[in-house]
Amino acid sequence: MLALRLSLGAHPAVQLRRFLVAAASAGTGFLLLSALGHALAHPEPSVSALRLAWCTAPLAATVYFAVAVARTDPATRPRPGLSAVGLGPVRLMAVSAATTAASCLLGSALALLVFLALRGDLTALPFDGAGTDFLAAGRPLPLPAALTLLALVPVSASAAVAVALRPREPVTGAPRPPRAYGRFGAYRRTPALESFGAYGRFGKQFGPSARGRRATGAAREQEGAAGAAEGAAAADASSPGVADAPAPGAPADAPPDVPRTVPSGLPWGITVLAVGLAVEAFASRPGPGSPGDRPAALLGLALACVGLALAGPGLTHLCGRLLQTIRPGALRLLAGRVLMTEATRIGRPLGVVCAVMSAAYAMAALHDREDTSSAPLVALGVLLVAGCTVATLLTAAVESRQARADTTAALRRLGAPAVTLRRAAALRAGALLALFGPLSLLVAELSTWPLTG
Amino acid sequence: MVAPPDNDVLWARALHFRHDDGSPGLSGVSLGVREGEILAVGGPRGSGKTTLLRCLSGLLPARSGEVWFNSVPVHTMGPAARERLRRERFGWIDPVPLLVAELNVWENAALPLMLRGTGRRRAKTAALEWLERLDIGDRARRHPVELTHAERQRVCIARALAPAPSVLFADEPTAPLHRVDRAHVLRTLTTAARSHGITVVLATHDAHTAALADRTVSLLDGRRVRTLHLPPVPGAAETEGRATCSLSV
Repeated sequence: MLALRLSLGAHPAVQLRRFLVAAASAGTGFLLLSALGHALAHPEPSVSALRLAWCTAPLAATVYFAVAVARTDPATRPRPGLSAVGLGPVRLMAVSAATTAASCLLGSALALLVFLALRGDLTALPFDGAGTDFLAAGRPLPLPAALTLLALVPVSASAAVAVALRPREPVTGAPRPPRAYGRFGAYRRTPALESFGAYGRFGKQFGPSARGRRATGAAREQEGAAGAAEGAAAADASSPGVADAPAPGAPADAPPDVPRTVPSGLPWGITVLAVGLAVEAFASRPGPGSPGDRPAALLGLALACVGLALAGPGLTHLCGRLLQTIRPGALRLLAGRVLMTEATRIGRPLGVVCAVMSAAYAMAALHDREDTSSAPLVALGVLLVAGCTVATLLTAAVESRQARADTTAALRRLGAPAVTLRRAAALRAGALLALFGPLSLLVAELSTWPLTG
Repeated sequence: MVAPPDNDVLWARALHFRHDDGSPGLSGVSLGVREGEILAVGGPRGSGKTTLLRCLSGLLPARSGEVWFNSVPVHTMGPAARERLRRERFGWIDPVPLLVAELNVWENAALPLMLRGTGRRRAKTAALEWLERLDIGDRARRHPVELTHAERQRVCIARALAPAPSVLFADEPTAPLHRVDRAHVLRTLTTAARSHGITVVLATHDAHTAALADRTVSLLDGRRVRTLHLPPVPGAAETEGRATCSLSV
């Protein structure tokens, strides 16, 4: 009830995002119902199971979008004053899960209504357009099966939202493990590559300034290098005195911890992408059957897409790094550093969008035009997946903007011209477009080439 | 209308301000700030200190009244002109240090200079100089998250001082600090301002802080008052209303 009250009194833009979630849920529900209808109309189970399996793509896109919307929902933001009256983190998680469930249930109900109307159960006038065998008109619809399928989207979306927004205790004040030299990143104890560099060569650690700061500052120094949860096991030997030093507790209004570590997915992403392309090329050796029938080729395409999605944050970080190299002024500095900081938040959905675009491009080249019965469903599915991923990217941009609202306000108080801030945002968008557009085109071309050739 | 004295760098006349929700902010505040002085704006919380500073610096447009800076009317300027004035002539220090978390310390301090169009090398030199003066020169390559609160506040002061503003507005710059850090921050701020002839308007509710200033202007409920008469604290007297609210009665 509280979730309903909170969600009804929201800003129109927030309502629009929730409405988009409902629309995505409706589309996915309709696709699931049509898989059921196809199973009713056709006795062979394998084809219907394949159709149901294809529905996982829109389902995953919908859940991804729902989680992104729940993250940006202002109604479920932690409120400092309301934690005392019982609206704490756990309750807020429940509220956002309930809000998501409400949006998705609305969409599912809409999908059921449309499906029944098209079947003619409501109007006694079945829709007879092209390719209506998935409606299974004339056969009774098994209600429990339909409801189970329709409950799939709300349940999975709510569960994903609850997991994504579960209250996590920030690890402040805990003694940080000292920097362990000598491993050089073996066993991946530290996310950043460590080397002695100037530190070891010029004896900076023996200087007078280092000596005084060592006891209190070393734990703090470690904070920047090691990420939040890394290296609990590394708290051994090298300098026990540092671990005993009292770690200064963060003040209550300290700025949110900015993740300054480089996203680590780039090598993995490139590897998986290369493996995917190689599998595709291997599967498309001249042989019997059309290339679209081979599961290995599809597997290769899927691997290439996963690789592209994995490489997204790293590529975004690289893009930001390139933007701010070589004596940057205020504009390039703001644009590049912000892109480096927001690499994970923006880069992940961006990589997914690129993966979806290249997959759609490759599938369009593969698609056989004769099969008209499922053409509208395929179009709906592609539209859903593409729309959800693009909407997720835009929502992530909104989230990043919300997270940086304080900094922007401080910059405005300094007198930073709005034009500069806008130009920095445009520069970021342009740089990302310039990197990811050709890249996804290239991957799409590379993955289409062995399949059609 | 009386012409302002020549050495007033900033003066306000009969400023009225009402917040968006209708609650009163300022009602008829007039004051003049002389060149190179440190003026403390005192008064308890909620007396309109921050609002006065915002009106003076052109962050908020006053409902009525006049603000003049160096014989230029600020109250008739458009938003773009006020923004340029803030960038070129004014500095601002927030109660909490709001630094750009992505940039390191010297880049933060050099940012206002770079926003003005100064070259990177010159901006860096000026920023490093100020950081050195404020005792955080050895932290210049750190990021703000690695610094303590007092150090971040000193970075904010360096950022405000580096472009050599005509007027520096400091809105309770030491409110969340302990007394040692508070004294350090205030001493550096006032020394830097005096040695460089920077006019400072310092909002504070702390009498010790106000003692560092040349002059103090007291505000109470959005009005300027000469003397602040606080109600006497009834020490031994029965607290009002306790008997009626007590559960045992």
